[in-house]
Amino acid sequence: MNWTKRYPGWTMFGAMVGLLIFLWGLAIPLSAAPAPIGPAAMQFAEGARITVWLTLIAGSVGVVLGVLAGMGKLSKFLPLRWVCDFYVWLIRGTPLLLQILFVWLVIPTVMPASVNLSDFACAAIALSLNIGAYNTECVRAGILAVPHGQIEAARALGLSPFQTFMDVILPQSMRVALPALANNLASLVKDSSLAYAISVVELTMVGYRVQAESYQPIPVFLTIATIYLILTTAFTTLTSALEAKLEVGQKR
Amino acid sequence: MNTSTTPTPIIVARNVDKRFGSFYALRNVSASFTEGQVTAIIGPSGSGKSTFLRTLNRLEKHDGGEIVIDGIELNDNLKHLDAVRREVGMVFQSFNLFSHLTILRNITLAPMRVRKMPKAEAEAKAMGLLERVGLKNQAYKYPVQLSGGQQQRVAIARALAMDPKVLLFDEPTSALDPEMVNEVLTVMRELAHTGITMLVVTHEMGFAREVADRVIFFDEGAILEDTTPQAFFTNPDHERAQAFLAQVRHGF
Repeated sequence: MNWTKRYPGWTMFGAMVGLLIFLWGLAIPLSAAPAPIGPAAMQFAEGARITVWLTLIAGSVGVVLGVLAGMGKLSKFLPLRWVCDFYVWLIRGTPLLLQILFVWLVIPTVMPASVNLSDFACAAIALSLNIGAYNTECVRAGILAVPHGQIEAARALGLSPFQTFMDVILPQSMRVALPALANNLASLVKDSSLAYAISVVELTMVGYRVQAESYQPIPVFLTIATIYLILTTAFTTLTSALEAKLEVGQKR
Repeated sequence: MNTSTTPTPIIVARNVDKRFGSFYALRNVSASFTEGQVTAIIGPSGSGKSTFLRTLNRLEKHDGGEIVIDGIELNDNLKHLDAVRREVGMVFQSFNLFSHLTILRNITLAPMRVRKMPKAEAEAKAMGLLERVGLKNQAYKYPVQLSGGQQQRVAIARALAMDPKVLLFDEPTSALDPEMVNEVLTVMRELAHTGITMLVVTHEMGFAREVADRVIFFDEGAILEDTTPQAFFTNPDHERAQAFLAQVRHGF
């Protein structure tokens, strides 16, 4: 923990590299394991890659959505506030599984026939919308935590409202919002498993398949649990390094 | 440099009103300020002196009357507002340095964003200003690492970086430990001799008497006295001003 605080840049870099090596090399140590794990090593590695992709895509889009909707909720423009309130209300009030199924079933019917969204894309959209709604509240809290004097100082210096937001409010609000955003990201790693419902072959789906073929659920589920643990550890190392970087200039 | 031969009014306030709900913070305030003039604004707390200062760069909107800064009228026109804020710098009671940026970045931000100054030029200028306020060796620290007096000197340098014609000081020494007041007053004293127009809301009677060309005394949202420091401190016209001076006189 101390190490991540002292060298945030290196930690982030290391966690990224570690994640990549882990992903590409996962099949090698797993193939040496006894049945039922060894023979399915390639499947496990492929599933882990899908899980990581889903997390990275939905995590990034979710942060953008969260910032936009968080700003929208604090906007003086009433209709925009209503839209953002409605979005958060809708997503937080319904189960994620339902949202994934909904996107998967509804999008093909409203899109033109030429657009063919893959199951993976549908899962990514649903997960992005979901985590975006939860991020909205974290970002809103972060923005509200920025002292008003900081905004007055920026405006008095002649910075436009947009420059004030980008240069002063956003970086300072992220410092407050980041621990909560990191929490959401850690949930997302595991929530992505619900994509199995629309036949996206991610890690949990691989587990189901392998145990169904081998009739040995315990070693299979222990394996995927371990992979999930390693993935969440990599992601939280990344975010805590980012946190240390943003904490610069803060009172301890 | 020469205050007496350039009597151009740079700030004109006519019949300015400001209400907070049913409370009148400013009542029919009129005053004009010539270029290069150093004005001390004093008065009991809640008398409207800070509010008056804050209407001059529209951190507070005035409800009636008009304010013209360097020929530009302050109103809802955002172009006017941006133009005025480029000419008017402000130093706050609580410094309001951007806590996530280094001292150097605090000073270069507005020139780079608002004046589109190249980074190298902005940094050279900032270092010059830091040298002027005696803090060149603190350029790469964060605001939290500096004492209150040092932070306020940085805030003055930050305001000066925009080359304002007018500098507003809102109780610049009120949040400082007693032994740090002087280092800030020294910087302000030097500034007063450079020909920049200064409006200083202050409780430092010694400073007002020694440095200001003009003293304005506020009470209950109106200007009660508007005269020279000499006349004000020796023989104020109004009983309210006499009573105020009697209360604060023990200080010098």
